[in-house]
Amino acid sequence: MNEGRVIASNVEKVYRSERTPTTAIEDLSFEVGDGEFFSVVGPSGCGKSTLLYLIAGFLDVTSGMITVNDHAVEGPGTDRGVVFQDYALFPWKTVMGNVTYGLAENGVPKDERRETAQHFIDTMGLDGFEDTYPKELSGGMKQRVGLARTLAYDPKILLMDEPFGALDQPLREALQDNLLDIWRELGKTVVFITHDVEEAVYLSERVLIMTRHPGTRKQVIDIDLDRTQDREAIITSEEFTETKNEVWRSLREETKHTV
Amino acid sequence: MSYLHSEKAGIVSTGVRHVGDVVVRWLPLLIVTGLWELASGWVVVETVLPPPLDVLIIAVDLVVSGQIVGDLLVSLWRIIWGLSLAIGVGVVLGVTMARVDPIEDFFGVFMSLIYPLPKTALVPLAVLWLGSGSGTAILVVFLACLLPIVLNSYNAAESVDQNLVWSAKMMGTSDRDMFRRVVVPAAIPEIITGIRQAVPIAFVALVSAELIAANRGIGYRILSYGQLGIYESMLAVIVVISLAAYVGVRGFERIERRVLVWT
Repeated sequence: MNEGRVIASNVEKVYRSERTPTTAIEDLSFEVGDGEFFSVVGPSGCGKSTLLYLIAGFLDVTSGMITVNDHAVEGPGTDRGVVFQDYALFPWKTVMGNVTYGLAENGVPKDERRETAQHFIDTMGLDGFEDTYPKELSGGMKQRVGLARTLAYDPKILLMDEPFGALDQPLREALQDNLLDIWRELGKTVVFITHDVEEAVYLSERVLIMTRHPGTRKQVIDIDLDRTQDREAIITSEEFTETKNEVWRSLREETKHTV
Repeated sequence: MSYLHSEKAGIVSTGVRHVGDVVVRWLPLLIVTGLWELASGWVVVETVLPPPLDVLIIAVDLVVSGQIVGDLLVSLWRIIWGLSLAIGVGVVLGVTMARVDPIEDFFGVFMSLIYPLPKTALVPLAVLWLGSGSGTAILVVFLACLLPIVLNSYNAAESVDQNLVWSAKMMGTSDRDMFRRVVVPAAIPEIITGIRQAVPIAFVALVSAELIAANRGIGYRILSYGQLGIYESMLAVIVVISLAAYVGVRGFERIERRVLVWT
């Protein structure tokens, strides 16, 4: 079955490139259920991005195991789609070219490619920009293309590496709500890396808090918000504030440990 | 209304700036020509340094009468061949050196060795191998152009953003296709920079090679007019080849802007 379950068991990642090996992640275990919105927060340098790249299959675990639907990750695959903080769009391709790329690589016929791509271009509010090159787009627009391109080839799991980190607040909020709509509609599993506690709490069902260096699991907090409400109502609710403070406290402890 | 005003003002000021640019760009040439005019007859006798206007008239005459058109075409033909070979070999070599370690090790030493070598030093030997026709000139142009092209292609392919490679990989691009689909297009702007650097180098190498050993071509004409003591014509040919080089570089820049709409 095409499900989106991610399981990390006793994951360790050591970088050996330098003279002294650095342990980025140590003994990290967690489970993300099919269709779940799961965020990872932690102090900078805790290996959040490394974790995401391990799940994506860009990097190999040193020991332990990551499985996606009970298959050990052995490299990148189209069941997972990464949304990068710096967008990583192909500058030599237009918006349409970027969004159809994954479909073309997977042998989708040309007409169908354009149709699917157009759908996600419209969903992300990019209609009219099909023939524009990335250099002409603002950061927010680029990230919309980044999302559209990943959604187009329909991976079951979205891996997002601080995707809205470089955007200003109003844009960020707009894209967060876009993402929530997409998540609800398409039932993707989302693993979302961020350093923004409010963002993590607003978006996710569970938050993994990582320790400082080397990164390991400190705590997983369940988030129980009434998501039928709009943003305003959610962020002013007592549950929201309480959960946010709980995550904050946990993170602050982490920072205190080492400073 | 105010919007219109500011737009108009913008046009005027860019117009003024444009004129200013043109003046600044051509001023050095004007100064050099002026100094040349002064030196001719005052510092150096006119027979050895004829005044610029005389030279220009002869240059026009040489071209219009067709006297050096044949040699010019031969030289341009050699440049096109040498440069094309250098582009073909240089881009492939540079890009593969960046992505395949054994190839880098193998050719790296070779490249470091020919880097400091004045390519024209090979002419006397090359003449023995290839004769004093086009072969030698093409070889020298090829070798001189190869390095900037290899170096730029190498740097370009080595510094391809890892996230671009990763994003292609996650969308299903195989390692085999990665070259064609991502590495080469991502490297193209810098590769073209290398080619742009090679264009004037091609002219320098060609004329140097033809000056040493050739029986046709612009360099040969410069040399033979010099040996005959016809200095006006010698300078005129130099003016013609300089203009040809200028047109070549400008033409290339125009192609470049068209190819790289996305940068």
